[in-house]
Amino acid sequence: MSIFGFHYRMERKAIGLVLGIIVVASIGGLVEIAPLFTIHQTVESAPDMRLYTPLELAGRNIYIREGCYACHSQMIRTLRDEVDRYGPYSLAVESKYDHPMLWGSKRTGPDLARIGEKYSDQWHVVHLVNPRDVVPASVMPAYDWLLSTELRTDDLGLHLKAQRAVGVPYTDDMIANAPLDAFGQSNPDSPQAKGVTERYGKATTLRAFDGRPSQLTEMDAMVAYLQILGRLTDAAHKPIAQAGAKQ
Amino acid sequence: MAVDQQERDSHTGYLTTGHEWNGIKELNTPVPRAVYFFLALSVLFSVVYWILMPAWPLGVTYTKGLLGVDQRTTVAAALSEAAIDRSLWAKRIETEGFAAIQSDPKLMEIVRMTGRTLFGDNCAACHGHDAKGGPGYPNLATSSWLWGGKPEDIFTTIRVGINSAHKDARVSQMPAFGRDQMLPRADVMKVASFVYSLANPDAKTIDPKTIAAGKEIFAANCVSCHGDDAKGNPELGAPDLTDKSSIYGGDLEAIDTSIWGGRQGLMPTWEGRLSELDRKILTLYLLDKRTVTP
Amino acid sequence: MVAQLTRTERQGAILIGLVVAICGFLLGVVGRDDPIAIHGALIFAAGILTIFLIGKDYYAPEPSDERFASYYDDPTKAGIVLAMVWVVFGLAVGDWAAWQLVNPNLTFGSGWSSFGRIRPVHTTAVIFGFGGNGLIATSLYVLQRTSRARLPDQLSPWFVLLGYNLFCVLAVTGYMMGITQSKEYAETEWYADIWLVVVWVVYFLIYLRTLARRKEPHIYVANWYYMAFILVVAMLHIVNNLAVPVSIGHAKSYTLYSGVQDAMIQWWYGHNAVAFFLTAGFLGMMYYFLPMRAGRPIFSYRLSIISFWGITFFYMWAGSHHLHYTALPHWVQTLGMTFSLMLLIPSWASAGNALLTLNGAWDKVRDDATLRFMMVAAVFYGLTTFEGSFMAIRAVNSLSHYTDWTVGHVHAGALGWVAMITFGSIYALVPWVWKCKSMYSAKLVEAHFWLAVAGTLIYVFAMWNSGIIQGLMWRTYSESGTLTYSFVDSLIAMHPYYVARSIGGLLFLIGGCIGAYNIWMTIKLPKPISETTADLPEKVTGGVSPQPAE
Ligand code: HEC
Ligand code: HEC
Ligand code: HEC
Ligand code: HEM
Ligand code: HEM
Ligand SMILES: [Ca+2]
Ligand SMILES: [Ca+2]
Ligand SMILES: [Cu+2]
Repeated sequence: MSIFGFHYRMERKAIGLVLGIIVVASIGGLVEIAPLFTIHQTVESAPDMRLYTPLELAGRNIYIREGCYACHSQMIRTLRDEVDRYGPYSLAVESKYDHPMLWGSKRTGPDLARIGEKYSDQWHVVHLVNPRDVVPASVMPAYDWLLSTELRTDDLGLHLKAQRAVGVPYTDDMIANAPLDAFGQSNPDSPQAKGVTERYGKATTLRAFDGRPSQLTEMDAMVAYLQILGRLTDAAHKPIAQAGAKQ
Repeated sequence: MAVDQQERDSHTGYLTTGHEWNGIKELNTPVPRAVYFFLALSVLFSVVYWILMPAWPLGVTYTKGLLGVDQRTTVAAALSEAAIDRSLWAKRIETEGFAAIQSDPKLMEIVRMTGRTLFGDNCAACHGHDAKGGPGYPNLATSSWLWGGKPEDIFTTIRVGINSAHKDARVSQMPAFGRDQMLPRADVMKVASFVYSLANPDAKTIDPKTIAAGKEIFAANCVSCHGDDAKGNPELGAPDLTDKSSIYGGDLEAIDTSIWGGRQGLMPTWEGRLSELDRKILTLYLLDKRTVTP
Repeated sequence: MVAQLTRTERQGAILIGLVVAICGFLLGVVGRDDPIAIHGALIFAAGILTIFLIGKDYYAPEPSDERFASYYDDPTKAGIVLAMVWVVFGLAVGDWAAWQLVNPNLTFGSGWSSFGRIRPVHTTAVIFGFGGNGLIATSLYVLQRTSRARLPDQLSPWFVLLGYNLFCVLAVTGYMMGITQSKEYAETEWYADIWLVVVWVVYFLIYLRTLARRKEPHIYVANWYYMAFILVVAMLHIVNNLAVPVSIGHAKSYTLYSGVQDAMIQWWYGHNAVAFFLTAGFLGMMYYFLPMRAGRPIFSYRLSIISFWGITFFYMWAGSHHLHYTALPHWVQTLGMTFSLMLLIPSWASAGNALLTLNGAWDKVRDDATLRFMMVAAVFYGLTTFEGSFMAIRAVNSLSHYTDWTVGHVHAGALGWVAMITFGSIYALVPWVWKCKSMYSAKLVEAHFWLAVAGTLIYVFAMWNSGIIQGLMWRTYSESGTLTYSFVDSLIAMHPYYVARSIGGLLFLIGGCIGAYNIWMTIKLPKPISETTADLPEKVTGGVSPQPAE
């Protein structure tokens, strides 16, 4: 009875209730979240992990803007059927630079965690312009205006700077050249192209993603982003047993 | 408990707590025993579960649980167990020759079943659910093969892709005769008419003179790839232009566009994505599809 | 409205309007190359409109001290109307989204109307627009009655209500323009997030100040829940929304956390938004309106204590059940699962407490659709929490996650519990605040009830079916040990269920429209002159500060 007696007294004080609620409601979050920053195994190490280029980051922002995450997950779970269908299960390190993460909670469409280089740029363009042209049963909306909308690049340096503020290691050089790099990546024959591989590594894909090298459209950015998904690091492709052993 | 004005509720027979808020009262009914029982039960279950499973954080590590279970090792085990189960038939597909497999109805049954899903999840986006292709993507069910129809050819195509990023990729390109000014506009039209007539010999709409002129241009520019008879060349991936089916659409306009602007279709490589077994199944699946598709 | 405010309150309102207008103006100017400028203009307009409306009647005579003789219900009335506007809008958008999955061409070719953009418009309109306004409206009403004290002043409740609606408008228009943080149920960008914090702090202060002046020695259970709702939502909102904007002139910001930590914080937030917004707040509502309407005492005070603290404690651990089998470490998943199971006990204790309160009033449940709304809500609450705990079991979640089963669960809770308890409470409340004998038409309440029940059942059954079929198709292996269905196979199989869901949603929407009409007609009913005396606060006079109960 003492609990009820205690409560009978406490519920006469608003401040008692307030403090009680704050304390009781804080415990769960503290115990579950704080250790994710202190337990090192939580995020695997992946020395080959690379950063999103400015173009890919811009594409990611369009992906967020259009709400693609409402239908597509980017998280292959540790389940046999998901590995069989989509490829190696996702590792925490793969979204280490994702502010915010886009793991998703609903698969109206397929998982996209390993979509990078699965299809051709041209397929993505056709599919985004009208999904039913290539997949008649699709219920995905058409995003045709991406092809005709010019990509805003003048503020990409600011974007990289904000990313650095939240912990993504972009260098001053990358920040200063962000708009040029965005153009160079989508126009491999242009003089700006060289800087992209210098700054982001040889493995960076330089292509006219929307099929038109001279124009830098939102479609370029979106396809560049889709084509990098699952390819920032190879960590997930190491034998599964090995990844498991690391735990 | 402090007693205000407790009343007895006539319906349930319990006392109230003696308070009233704008007419609302509360009964001081004891908590039903079942609530405590199930609470204890759920806590007990949880405690046992925590002891067995990874559960509680401890600064820089966490309790691993007596069972030593971890989701990653679990799925790795499930995958290798499944691979062992599959190996009964998978071994045979991996090791036996194409012809031997094709003549074994049991194995082909598995190929059809497995191939359908593999194709649906990986290839159908381009080649269509029925493998009949679409604008820009070749029909794999009926038309002649670009790179040769031997099982090994198809298997290789799937492994390395066409114009893909693979280091051994098959490379092919239809030059842009018009845009790159190898042929004047009028000649492109003429040769296009000729090519159109190859697959549509009964077409009456085109002037035979144009076709004849086109034939000459074709002999001068195109036979090196598409062959004297325009039946294509599997060495170069140049398509047969005489059959009914076409990658980019067989109407005059599509043909003209191909010749004017050139073509370089991209078929991805599947080496890093699909296992050798899967790729072999797909090869067999396509060959099988061809025998059943009219 | 303005005539009710004192001169100082009018000045305060003009000052707030001015500050808001200046902030909006600055956002508009600094962000002129960015969509944020449109929001700047909207905020500016809101500020100017406030100044204009107050200024128009600025010199109207001040209210007499007689106002202290009754509770201050104007913000509650406005909140009810706003809630009904939002629910019709939100349900319509939800049903539109549902039809888009039947026929994707229903975007009519625009960017703003594509599924990915209107889905958060729907969730925000129904949860925050409808649910939030319902909670603010009822909480202010309940707070005064159960404290027997008038609200501390007349400006702050208006600030909370209108400020909150400004937030909702920013949210919904933002998503259509593509301004979103992508965090489910927290999609609004940094400036709207900051604004909500300001509004919320004032809301909390209203609560504390009114409680401090209360005449009842004990704080009633409904207020425990409303307070937990306000406090914990503040906590969740602040932690989950920390972000660095690209610049003051950009709507876009980057979340402070990344990857796995971000996922955990997001679902700690997301799950507890369900717990403290969609559950605790509405339990507060239920604890007042259900016993009032039934005319019965709460079944057990002690059970209320157990369930309140159980819910407050256990819920906060359960968020990781949204991340089973993902890259979140296994140990967190274990905690999420086990706490979700323990959570079922206090959840069912609440549902049981509500249903047992109806003992002795079942004849009223039979005859009174308003009470029946509340009864069905309690049943769906029990059902949804049972389903939730079940889905939190890892093995079950391996099937249900990512599928329509989750959507079915959501709407069992959202339609069956959240919307039903709100409709029931509003039907009870409208005649009380507008001083009528009853609703304009009891028949229309009855019709709304049956449309709501039918809509909910069709929706939920369709999604259970499609979800389970989807989940099973994704993991079905043939005898040869390979996957049987491709993804598109499962997509095609969903079609009939998507049609059914859209029809169920349409029924629910029609019910909502009928409700809005009925409420509107009730508001317009001629009013009797005499007021019931039971519904009056402790008499206090202007400047004299009332004796606090503590
Ligand atoms: C209404 C839900 C919906 C939205 C919103 C949506 N998609 Fe899809 N998506 C689908 C469906 C269903 C499929 C499967 C059918 C198909 O391939 O079109 C799909 C397929 C895809 C695929 C091919 C995946 C594969 O493995 O075959 C890609 C890539 C894709 N979507 C990208 C996007 C992007 C990028 C966006 C946002 C700009 C987006 N989707 C928005 C539903 C959606
Ligand atoms: C991104 C689109 C795309 C996807 C996905 C794709 N293909 Fe292809 N495929 C093509 C294109 C384009 C060509 C023709 C290339 C050309 O035009 O030269 C082709 C050609 C082929 C060929 C050669 C046909 C011939 O006549 O020699 C085979 C075989 C083939 N694909 C099989 C597959 C299989 C099996 C898969 C799935 C594992 C697949 N494709 C997935 C685009 C695709
Ligand atoms: C360098 C080799 C080469 C030469 C020379 C060449 N082609 Fe091609 N042609 C190709 C290849 C390879 C393709 C397939 C391209 C693809 O699938 O993306 C092709 C495709 C085509 C197609 C499209 C077939 C379809 O299925 O839609 C037409 C039409 C065509 N060629 C006509 C011509 C004509 C007419 C000429 C001469 C003026 C010509 N080609 C010269 C290699 C060549
Ligand atoms: C007319 C009635 C309604 C219809 C037709 C409807 C329709 C929809 C649709 C189509 C979705 C998207 C599901 C998907 O992505 O596959 C959705 C999501 C959602 N709706 Fe509704 N809805 C309705 C009422 C409500 C109400 C009243 C609420 C809340 C009070 C609500 C809360 C939600 C939530 C929280 C989600 C997100 C679910 C998730 O992320 O899993 N809905 N709704
Ligand atoms: C004991 C109580 C409950 C538990 C344990 C619970 C558990 C769960 C689980 C396991 C999921 C699925 C997560 C996933 O696989 O992605 C879920 C989703 C959800 N539940 Fe509940 N649930 C409970 C009560 C409720 C109630 C009362 C509501 C009221 C509306 C509700 C609303 C939601 C919503 C909106 C989602 C979707 C989240 C998202 O993915 O966007 N839940 N819940
Ligand atoms: Ca969701
Ligand atoms: Ca936010
Ligand atoms: Cu949850």
